[in-house]
Amino acid sequence: MDSKESMESREAKDSIKSQVEGLLGSRPRQARHLLAVLQDIQAAFRYLPKEALLMVSEKLEVSAARVFAVAGFYKALSFSPKAERLLTVCQGTACHLRGSEKLIQTLESRLGFKIGQSSTDGRLGLETVNCLGACALAPVATVDGAVHGHLTPEKALDLI
Amino acid sequence: MDHTLPKVTGTIDGHEFEVCHGTTLLEAAKTLGIKIPTLCHHPGLPPDGNCRLCLVETGDKLLASCAFPIRASGGVYLTHSPLVFEARAFVLKLLLSRAPNNKELLKLAEEYGAQADPRLSDDPDGCLRCARCVRACQAAGSQAIALIGRGRGRKVAGPFFEPPLDCVGCLACARSCPTGLIACGEEPRVIWGRQFDLVKCPQCGRTVGTPEELKRAGITSWLCPDCRRREYSQALKNLPEASFVRN
Ligand code: SF4
Ligand code: FES
Ligand code: FES
Repeated sequence: MDSKESMESREAKDSIKSQVEGLLGSRPRQARHLLAVLQDIQAAFRYLPKEALLMVSEKLEVSAARVFAVAGFYKALSFSPKAERLLTVCQGTACHLRGSEKLIQTLESRLGFKIGQSSTDGRLGLETVNCLGACALAPVATVDGAVHGHLTPEKALDLI
Repeated sequence: MDHTLPKVTGTIDGHEFEVCHGTTLLEAAKTLGIKIPTLCHHPGLPPDGNCRLCLVETGDKLLASCAFPIRASGGVYLTHSPLVFEARAFVLKLLLSRAPNNKELLKLAEEYGAQADPRLSDDPDGCLRCARCVRACQAAGSQAIALIGRGRGRKVAGPFFEPPLDCVGCLACARSCPTGLIACGEEPRVIWGRQFDLVKCPQCGRTVGTPEELKRAGITSWLCPDCRRREYSQALKNLPEASFVRN
């Protein structure tokens, strides 16, 4: 009954499990380390695989519902793989007033996908944030954490 | 009430009260016969203070009376001041955007002159996010569901938005929901997209619960509570006289 595909997905699951086992080993197995463990997993996989969350629930003795609720609360954690490079446009008040909406429209139409989505090859993702604390540079965007200020739609396209 | 605890005193709407240290403001008001509207409060569950309807004024500040234990004497609390009235009306407006057809809310809204704001009503699913269901589940001994997500997207669900594996089918969540929103069935026992077997009392045939539920409660006998009691007293009656200790 084992098709090649399900064998592969089983292998993928096993490899996730052993990796998570390793990550869990680096922290005390206590419920209060839940968030830190989730961050470790997010960093390793760029998302939180379901098998990983179930393992965390079991090993830290935190209910699956609680693990899922915590995982779903933070923007830095995600249930589907985040892109390799992340372009984040600030949508805070200052950036909004200085035309962040225009930047977003331009980026979306050039890239062919919307805020919150990624390119089909998973290389680039588009997100927004509510104020980066760099309002003097508005409108602002970051690429993998590096800040780019005083953007125009043209300059924003250069960030791609 | 634990009568060894020290007492605290204060006034609510000008009436003096004396309660045990740590009594909530809501309970203290009750001892004076003062009614404060509540939604997320449930006397059998730990307070959560999330609906904000029970707001009470003290020294220009507002606090959620259901979740405020009185720990010091001398507090002056107002349950029906203009500030309170205004705050509750605002809370009702927000809640109405979630549950525009809730009878209790509508009644309160009329009392407080609150109206739903159409700009807020993009997802009126009827749920108050009061978390009574989540707390009831936890109090019963499981943690099958949680409030998941945040902001306007927050909602009650099982992990991965799937039928929760930790659910034992006890229906505690559905029974504690003030809006009757959680779809479920007694017999056959269905809830959160899962179906459960039912244990019948081998003596009278009455439904005792789900096997998972009994296991959680550590109950090994499948007799219903009545038949179990009868069996127990029968066993007592049959004990030899000598096994009773008298002193
Ligand atoms: S489902 Fe019911 S009990 Fe649960 S949060 Fe919504 S209104 Fe409250
Ligand atoms: S509003 Fe964009 S950095 Fe503050
Ligand atoms: S009843 Fe007090 S906050 Fe809901």
